[in-house]
Amino acid sequence: MANLKPNNSALIIVGHGSTQNPDSSAPTYAHQEEIRRRRLFSEVHCAFWKEEPSLREVLQMVEAEEVYIVPNFISEGYFTEKVIPRELELTGRVTRRNGKVLKYCEPVGNDPRMVELLLLRAREVAPGVPAKETSLIIVGHGTGLNENSAVAVKRQVALLRREGQYAEVLAAYMEEEPLVSNWRVLTGQRHVVVVPFFISDGLHSYQDIPVLLGLEGEPTAAASQLEVFRRNPYTCGDRLLYYASAIGTEPAFADIILDTAARFEAPPPVAATAA
Amino acid sequence: MISDLLERLCRQGAWRLGEVVVVPVTSGQVELRHHSDENTAPGSGLRPLERPEELRDLVRYDEAGRYRPLKGAPTLPRGWIFTAGDARALQQALDFVYPGATASWAAQQHGELRVVDLRVTLNRQTGMYRVTQKITNEQADRLVGRFCRSDEGCLRTILWRLDRDRPVTSLPAAKFDPAADQLGRAGRHLPIFCAEACNLLVAEARAVVKQKPA
Repeated sequence: MANLKPNNSALIIVGHGSTQNPDSSAPTYAHQEEIRRRRLFSEVHCAFWKEEPSLREVLQMVEAEEVYIVPNFISEGYFTEKVIPRELELTGRVTRRNGKVLKYCEPVGNDPRMVELLLLRAREVAPGVPAKETSLIIVGHGTGLNENSAVAVKRQVALLRREGQYAEVLAAYMEEEPLVSNWRVLTGQRHVVVVPFFISDGLHSYQDIPVLLGLEGEPTAAASQLEVFRRNPYTCGDRLLYYASAIGTEPAFADIILDTAARFEAPPPVAATAA
Repeated sequence: MISDLLERLCRQGAWRLGEVVVVPVTSGQVELRHHSDENTAPGSGLRPLERPEELRDLVRYDEAGRYRPLKGAPTLPRGWIFTAGDARALQQALDFVYPGATASWAAQQHGELRVVDLRVTLNRQTGMYRVTQKITNEQADRLVGRFCRSDEGCLRTILWRLDRDRPVTSLPAAKFDPAADQLGRAGRHLPIFCAEACNLLVAEARAVVKQKPA
């Protein structure tokens, strides 16, 4: 974990939020609670695109002069590059306005520890299952406004393959090839572990993907009201499928948010980021 | 400091914010509860909440268990009591119930609350919400009258206009008056300012332009 000392600055964790699904903002709030508990920042706020407080009103809530803004997003893309800067009226990486210094950090999904967390999640969901007999699928959204999420998934898959722990590691998407709904054809092992590379168990990871996998008939209630994860493994013919909660629900994301803020001040050398 | 303003407010007795009543008790402590539980004695069925996060989780749903994406909706569940040990805890708790409300009020007190008219908000939208720029003033007026009304929409006090020279005409004058309690009660209250249309209204504007229910 990066070396972040207690300071008088504020932290804003920016989430997407949802008007449909109460689970969407839950991880962002959980990380806020954990980071507040550590008392590293004088203030820790959440702000959302589709919930309150909105990106338009959150800066009013901040009393510190120095403000770190960390997007709780899985990849760079439309939201981190367009919506958040526009709504917060950021002019660049550092914005000085009304006596405040706003420091716009990278999205959490860029953190080098993502691979480690994906492996942890995969092991947790299928305890005791030999990795050498398991296909690991990392699921992203793909297409449209989220085009960079596919790039981010591919990056993680390449790194996971290099780790060499699983018999095979594949990328799959909801809305582009290779489609997650074709998991039976895409994978060759008896055990199949699916980890959504999403920030929360929102509509996609909790309702849409289980339908695409064939685990649920129709999207129904919010994740927290279903038992999708408690029914692992799913027996599908001679295959055993283990479906994990979205990677962003991992409690270690609180550390990732802190690391992201710390990295703003001390970016790693170029060689380290390429490793 | 926002918490200093709240502390000063509490020294003068009880006050309300939306559906919450804030009652100073002893030694800087304040109690929060739903205003309709104001006269229910503690220990007589009100569920005690100890941490602001418990309040955060409680207000996520209404009494029927439905998700409350709009925090200003007049659907705050009843039957709980939260004790804040100091003004800072009070501020955190209120930020979970009515996010940004005390900050907007403090900004208004300092003459720093920036108001953005609906047309400016819509003209800024991109992606799937760019189409909201096509909503007519008449459509927008009707939408605000339906979506933002205090009795079944949102308890915020609207400060913006449809456009610079075009006020909202579909809601009563009290909806725009910071001195008016949106629940129509007497007594001290803080208004919950709406200085700019929320994303939920923008999403509804999209539905109007697309002519389908949101």
